[in-house]
Amino acid sequence: MHPISAYIQAMTRRHFFRRAGLGLGAAALAVLGPPRAKANGRQPPSPHHPPRAQRAIFLFMNGGPSQLDLWDYKPQMANWFGKDLPDSVRDGQRLTLMTANQQRLLIAPSIYRFARHGRSGTWVSELLPWTARVVDELCVIKSLQTDEINHDPAVTFLCTGHAIPGRASLGAWVSYGLGSENANLPTFVVMTPVGAEKLGNGLTARLWGAGFLPGRHQGVLLRAQGEPLLFLSNPAGVDASTRRRMLDSLAHLNEKHFAEVGDPETLTRIAQYELAFRMQMSVPQLVDLSREPAHVRALYGPDVDRPGTFAASCLLARRLVEQGVRFVQIFHRGWDNHLNLPRRLPIQCQESDQPCYGLITDLKQRGLLEETLVIWAGEFGRTIFCQGTLTPRQYGREHHPRCAAAWLAGGGIRPGITHGETDDFSFNVVRDPVHVHDLHATILHCLGIDHERLTYRYQGLDVRLTGVEPRQPVWPILL
Amino acid sequence: MTGHLTNNRWSSRRAGVRWLLVCAALALGVVGLEGRGRRPGGARSPATEHASARHWAFVPPQMPRLPSVQQADWPRNPIDYFILQRLEAAGLRPSPEADRTTLIRRVTLDLTGLPPTPEEVDAFLADTRPRAYERLVVRLLQSPRFGEHMARYWLDAARYADTHGLHSDDYSAVWPYREWVITAFNRNLPFDQFLIEQLAGDLLPHATPEQQIATGFLRCHLSSTDAALAEEEVRVGNMVDITETTAAVTLGLTFSCARCHDHKYDPLSMRDYYSFYAFFNSFDGSPYNFHLPAPPPAVAVPSPRQQQREQELYQRGEALRREIAAACARCRDDVGPDRGEVAPLADQPRDYVWFDDELPRSARILQDGVAEDECRVVRRPEGPVFSGESALRIKSRETGRHYVIQIDPPLVIGPGDRLFCYVYLDPDDPPAQVMLQWRTRDFDHRASWGEDLIPHTDAGRPTIRHFGALPKSGEWVRLEVAAEEVGLAPGAVVDGIGFAQYDGTVYWDATGSRTRLPVHQQTFDTLAEWLAVQRRLNGARLPPAIRELALKPDNQRTPEQRRQLRDFFLQRAYRGNREVLEPLLARLAEHEDAVSRFYAELPQAPVYRDAAMPRPTFILRGGQFDRRGSRVEPAVPACLPPLPADAPRNRLGLARWLVSPQQPLTARVIVNRFWQQFFGTGLVRTVDDFGLRGEPPSHPELLDWLACRFQRDGWNVKHLVYWLVTSATYRQTSRASPEARARDPENRLLSRGSRLRLDAEVLRDQALFCGGLLVEEIGGPSVKPPQPPGLWEAVVTANSNTGRFVADVGPQKVYRRSLYTFWKRTAPPPQMTILDAPSRETCVFRRERMNTPLQALVMLNDPQWVEAARGMAERAWAKAESQRERLVWLFRLAVVRRPDAAELAELEAALGDLRRAFERRPPAAAQLVGVGERPVRVAVEPTELAAWTMLAHLILNLDEVVTRE
Repeated sequence: MHPISAYIQAMTRRHFFRRAGLGLGAAALAVLGPPRAKANGRQPPSPHHPPRAQRAIFLFMNGGPSQLDLWDYKPQMANWFGKDLPDSVRDGQRLTLMTANQQRLLIAPSIYRFARHGRSGTWVSELLPWTARVVDELCVIKSLQTDEINHDPAVTFLCTGHAIPGRASLGAWVSYGLGSENANLPTFVVMTPVGAEKLGNGLTARLWGAGFLPGRHQGVLLRAQGEPLLFLSNPAGVDASTRRRMLDSLAHLNEKHFAEVGDPETLTRIAQYELAFRMQMSVPQLVDLSREPAHVRALYGPDVDRPGTFAASCLLARRLVEQGVRFVQIFHRGWDNHLNLPRRLPIQCQESDQPCYGLITDLKQRGLLEETLVIWAGEFGRTIFCQGTLTPRQYGREHHPRCAAAWLAGGGIRPGITHGETDDFSFNVVRDPVHVHDLHATILHCLGIDHERLTYRYQGLDVRLTGVEPRQPVWPILL
Repeated sequence: MTGHLTNNRWSSRRAGVRWLLVCAALALGVVGLEGRGRRPGGARSPATEHASARHWAFVPPQMPRLPSVQQADWPRNPIDYFILQRLEAAGLRPSPEADRTTLIRRVTLDLTGLPPTPEEVDAFLADTRPRAYERLVVRLLQSPRFGEHMARYWLDAARYADTHGLHSDDYSAVWPYREWVITAFNRNLPFDQFLIEQLAGDLLPHATPEQQIATGFLRCHLSSTDAALAEEEVRVGNMVDITETTAAVTLGLTFSCARCHDHKYDPLSMRDYYSFYAFFNSFDGSPYNFHLPAPPPAVAVPSPRQQQREQELYQRGEALRREIAAACARCRDDVGPDRGEVAPLADQPRDYVWFDDELPRSARILQDGVAEDECRVVRRPEGPVFSGESALRIKSRETGRHYVIQIDPPLVIGPGDRLFCYVYLDPDDPPAQVMLQWRTRDFDHRASWGEDLIPHTDAGRPTIRHFGALPKSGEWVRLEVAAEEVGLAPGAVVDGIGFAQYDGTVYWDATGSRTRLPVHQQTFDTLAEWLAVQRRLNGARLPPAIRELALKPDNQRTPEQRRQLRDFFLQRAYRGNREVLEPLLARLAEHEDAVSRFYAELPQAPVYRDAAMPRPTFILRGGQFDRRGSRVEPAVPACLPPLPADAPRNRLGLARWLVSPQQPLTARVIVNRFWQQFFGTGLVRTVDDFGLRGEPPSHPELLDWLACRFQRDGWNVKHLVYWLVTSATYRQTSRASPEARARDPENRLLSRGSRLRLDAEVLRDQALFCGGLLVEEIGGPSVKPPQPPGLWEAVVTANSNTGRFVADVGPQKVYRRSLYTFWKRTAPPPQMTILDAPSRETCVFRRERMNTPLQALVMLNDPQWVEAARGMAERAWAKAESQRERLVWLFRLAVVRRPDAAELAELEAALGDLRRAFERRPPAAAQLVGVGERPVRVAVEPTELAAWTMLAHLILNLDEVVTRE
């Protein structure tokens, strides 16, 4: 055995794995000894229960897509055009300041046609013709509820389980719970494609942050322009062989130092430089979509050839999960259609519809869908009543935390079903409400994690993603 | 790699497991036995009044006696007795002292955040007199770098940042507070005073501007501009942030649970929470930040040069005014009595052009969604102009707004007035909507043409009116609306206007009102005539003091007031002396222009201030802003000693109570944090939790000794630091045998020195320092060294004023210490966060020290690191002649010690290979040495310099260099 590996075995395990982090400790061994050596002498931690999904892709529709124009078909509303929302429906629920002073809440029926699709006969709006083609793979939830009515807290809530900044994000929890399948890549990758329209609502690094969890669980932003990973490229004038030469001497000197000082952290450092070098080799190939055959690229639509689009991000997401990245989150911006919905919503759908279809189809063709969970959701839904001027062709919709639509597909999810039901106004849930924390519990469950048992001690509390209230996975939609 | 499903999951159900672990630790001697009696339940016990009343941290510290030890020649100061006693009890011996080069590097990095220079090392090694180390420490404590380095830790706790953090995440100019913190550490402000000034500096008797700036601590919270949020909701959010941060920083207690329900483990109730909150709740300002860098209340922060300039301006103004008064005195003054009616309205309305080409003096411009290069003044024939010399061209994608505010004189609205503005829509790029907004107290007076696409927060209110289709494009059109249609009643005073559009290119020109008010007349023959006009205009064009006099009933002015009014009239508006005064008045106008520009440019620091009327505080049920429960008064948590009866029930009373001797937590919390800073782990490892769920201290007596000593010393920080870093405990070597590591794996017993990876800022500063690049200048606004493109753009909202990152240039900006790097909360500088700096959104006392490949990538590929390495190579080249000497010097520059033969051989071999590699590819060498802003300063072949740069870069990345040994 390599003398350094022998030395590690002599280390106190608790210390080693606490300082270096369990995953990184294992990675260090992988570099210095045989790959995936069981040199640490213990079984790798197993999930809480057999997972249906190994990894997940979260398509985050930032801004709050209108369930009324996409998924929650309300044909009765056609007769209500321009009428007041009945007080009995609103029942004193809070409005944002944008409409709190509006004197009347006039009903704006969707102007889009809906039809049943697939064997499941799921209602889908004409704005999503491509997604409609794979609707039999989806479980559409019409009863997603959140606690927050404004973007910043609501987005933070859906991404971190808490409206106030400072908590760990969903992907970070997954990374913390499951670790990585591929030491050469980050465990949690984030993409923020930019659409044809202006940027829309802001994002913030906290949405993929590690919060109180160790920093390496934070999402790594994969960039469309410039280097795919920050600081991935060697400085100008330095090629791989020059870098290799430098790293060889660096490793020799560090090994010598380790022999004198004896801190295992030094070994981890050596391993990290080696990993960094390998990422420099592997990541550019991974993000090079031209390596995909034309028929696969075509699935995602014409935007796929433009870097930084939602389509390109979806194809990249598939390549990432294929390589063992645990959690990929794509933020698609511009769904906050307050005033100009008929102008903006079709653009949003055009950008995202075919890529969603492409992703599901591509995953399925490769047999990856069974073990990959795909989630499509935004931070809240929108109101049936109009914000701004209402005409037969022009309307806007206000934030609505009480009802939102989302869909899940793949690993562990019952396909071709619809879950939850709203009233005629899509204003209140009348059957099977799904709280954001229930959604979180469901996602974790698919990945083999019991949301009540995945906790972290922070400021004296055992914090979990799903908050303090009793929550549970949405059992009826699980296989 | 594997995950953490089986780790760190001690939920309450599993407390038993944890208890077993604690017992095991006790048996192993990892956790002390002697403190048990004072720590009932150690790990966890039910939060009954009884148990919590005796929780160790809630009992005031008593100065313990020094324990007796066997190895009596080891301790250097009292700290060492406590450490040694524990070691001896565990059958361990302390490690030997680290060698002197390691010591000087360790203590220099720990006290200043920068490594020692080779010259400083030589001087220290040559100083063979006794107490050389102590003298070194004293020198370092006097370095201004000490304050910068100490401030950085505090700023993590204070969640200091340069943007507001929520919604559009705009610029926040709280940097004067950062400067205050640095200065406070450098002048060794006693720590109790340090806390008092930050929590209540404004309430101190005769509070200085600096003491007010200190309250910036309370203004570092996240804040919003989101108009969709209710004002009360935003206020509650701000107060929650302030309350929880203050409690965490001073008491080491986590208050956040008690916001929604009584704390599960600690004896903190919701009443405690909101009573603590009540101390802050009377903040005298809006909870929104309005996109402002220093939302009021704020104080001006003139630099010394600006203070001098202010004096000069003041004196010049006084001289001018005296000159005018003197000239006036030589003129006619038969102006009649100061009696007037209200001037009649003109029979026919006339156009009053408020402004056309020239912006009125004092006016400021705010933009929203308009990029700078998309908004500019154009002249003929570049673009169409309606009147005068120029027009304003705005090009926008979606919503773009251009506001002009603080317009003096303001526009006064008269009965039946109409408002106008000229527009020209580009026929090749028409907008979908144009909108005018007039500002009284806010911009809620809107007139819109075209579609309804521009967001506004008050749909349906009478303050927005739609006036139908867009005007014709390709020609100048006069947009005109009745003032009353946009909610402006007669008498309203408008001091700002906004030009808004959705998409397209629009030219905007002359704006004003069609009015019957007497707005055109500037000079008058009699005081009575002038007074009548001012009354008709509601005094809107007068300075506030004169306005008050002018509007007063004529028979109620005192003789002094009558004189003032008359003097003002004579000097400013009397036709009779106009000819004489005109040149002087023109100079005065110019002067006042300079004054207003001066004040507009003066940096402002946000401060805390209480409103005259205290705002009532209520318990908020479920923590929700709109669910008020019973009312509470300011009070401290019931589980702690009460406020003294005579203490004021305000922030000052709270601050003084926090640092009072009977209050058991603050001194312990503070010394524990300093301990963590110098030893890597706190005596209480959970530095942020001294409650029942926190870990008990590893050395309870030592913690109490330090806390008592610190208080007795008058909270003297430099003194405390001196004690810590001159102890034998601190000076131990960090090298350890496998056996020693096995017996004290986490070094909780301090059987050796700590090894810590340097913090992000120190790593970057060290590189710049070694490369000879660092520009040391204390304080000032934040700077933007280069960062990879697109990071801000990836997260930004359309209307943020920190939407586009433009790197600074010039050594004064690019090579400053990292403490001054601009911190955008939604996209912090990646060089910092990748290396475990917190996001500065919440209070953080303990940074992780991870070890990831992404960190290696920063240190290998960040251009500033490359540039620093090249700087090192250039310095080595200039410093020594032979290759061997240069290598040794380079090594010492970063590693501090001398390389041994094996290391030299490795480096020489690497250098040879790298040199050959670059000789094969000379263009690559030129590229590498061209990285960075500073040109090459030594005459050496690029291939040679490139090889040395790589070598220096290698040295900068050595484990020994990125670690403080």
